Amino acid sequence: MDSGYYAACTALVSRTQALDTIANNLANASTVGYRAQHNQFSSVLAQASGAPDSDLNQAINNYGILSGTMLDESQGALQKTGNNLDLAIQGSGFFVVQTAGGPMYTRDGSFQLSSKGQLITSTGDPVMGDKGAISLPPGSVSISPDGTISSNGAVAGKLKLVSFPAGTNLTSAGETYYSAPPNSEAASTDSTVKQGMLESSNVNPVTSMVELITAQRSAEMMQRELSMYSSEMDKTATQDLPKIS
Amino acid sequence: MFHALYTAASGMTAQQINLDNIANNLANASTSGFQSRRVQFSDLLYQSEVMPGAAATQQTTVSSGLQVGLGTRPGNTEIIQTQGDLSSTGNPLDFAIEGTGFFQILLPNNQIGYTRAGSFQPNQQGTLVTANGDQLQPAITIPPNATNITVGSDGTVSATLPGQINAAQVGTIQLATFANPGGLNSIGNNIYLPTTASGDAVVGTPGGADGLGTIQQGMLEQANVNIVDEFVNMILAQRSYESNSRVVKAADEMLQGLNQVAQ
Repeated sequence: MDSGYYAACTALVSRTQALDTIANNLANASTVGYRAQHNQFSSVLAQASGAPDSDLNQAINNYGILSGTMLDESQGALQKTGNNLDLAIQGSGFFVVQTAGGPMYTRDGSFQLSSKGQLITSTGDPVMGDKGAISLPPGSVSISPDGTISSNGAVAGKLKLVSFPAGTNLTSAGETYYSAPPNSEAASTDSTVKQGMLESSNVNPVTSMVELITAQRSAEMMQRELSMYSSEMDKTATQDLPKIS
Repeated sequence: MFHALYTAASGMTAQQINLDNIANNLANASTSGFQSRRVQFSDLLYQSEVMPGAAATQQTTVSSGLQVGLGTRPGNTEIIQTQGDLSSTGNPLDFAIEGTGFFQILLPNNQIGYTRAGSFQPNQQGTLVTANGDQLQPAITIPPNATNITVGSDGTVSATLPGQINAAQVGTIQLATFANPGGLNSIGNNIYLPTTASGDAVVGTPGGADGLGTIQQGMLEQANVNIVDEFVNMILAQRSYESNSRVVKAADEMLQGLNQVAQ
């Protein structure tokens, strides 16, 4: 069988995976604090012979497999909500949340108070301050840009904001939580907290649509490739060649 | 089969719920004491085909993993706690709360409900009740021959009787607050019930040390629905629904093309 047949098949599989990522980005276009994921393709075979690739070979092989998804670290738009406990981060920082599975990091600052007055996320996990979980007495809450929380004029705690060095692998854990390798966090120096605002998802609908069309059209190309191999070349080989005698 | 079909469907379902919520906010834009809600979404689990930080060789790790998310889901609907505009009605038995707090209402099942809609009327005994006939708690009875009713910002209700110069105090309105008002349960008719998430009601004097709001007589609090925001959200919900349905179409066409390969 022609090796191109398998190359086109691999590329087709990677396009369907790419479509899954694009679908997830578009589905989360309204998720507060969501970070878009971008596909990375890589070629199946490194150029072994050193000879230049033909155009067709490049088109099929250079984007052969989906090797990874990368988080888009760009800032999402800040959207005003007016709720005192809605917080947005401007900068590269993350809020720290204590979950049953250890510390998690999130940009979704739609916090609430628990019935015991503890600051929690919308899924009920406590938000960490410099000195552990933050408890607030009832009353009006104001939060300064550096994350200091005051309740009725008295300081009640300071939000812990952390950043990660470039290249740190953050793992998406759902619920807009991310986990990071141990000891990779550092206090964030470039982050400011905006009270009464939330950071919208940083999915760009235009680029997502373009990615969608690209994935779809290049899948069609691979399908054309497959049918060319199967119906025209292989069929010719199996049906017509035996007749030559 | 492609996840993309299901992922896009989860996005469409989420936007449907978003639109339902926007419709309810807009429908209640003229309901006094109504507090709008906002749907919060969160992303679903991820399929990690390559974990970020996995070993590529013995010495190196992959620069980023291959994680494919499975869509979105509506997480919760948060009650927006902002103050609604106060509009003057001139009716001495219309009260608005400026600041935090809820009026306490005795429901027919003897439970206490909480509301910010402060439009009261006396019943045949002169006791203040809501439009549904439920009593304001603690009960306040207005003498039938009272000529003037005054409510102070701290909730003191006084009535002037014919032939008397000084107004006599007939009761005090108390307000309730919660550790987490966002966790209250809406049961309709502008009434909220406490839940374990909201915590128990803390009752106090309006304007007192508990941080409760003050009472404004002759005013009603309008719904805190921001029509412009709701319209913007409605457009976003509609467009997001469309882009998700475009993904369904793309996945469908890719599958269709795949079926034709075999022919």
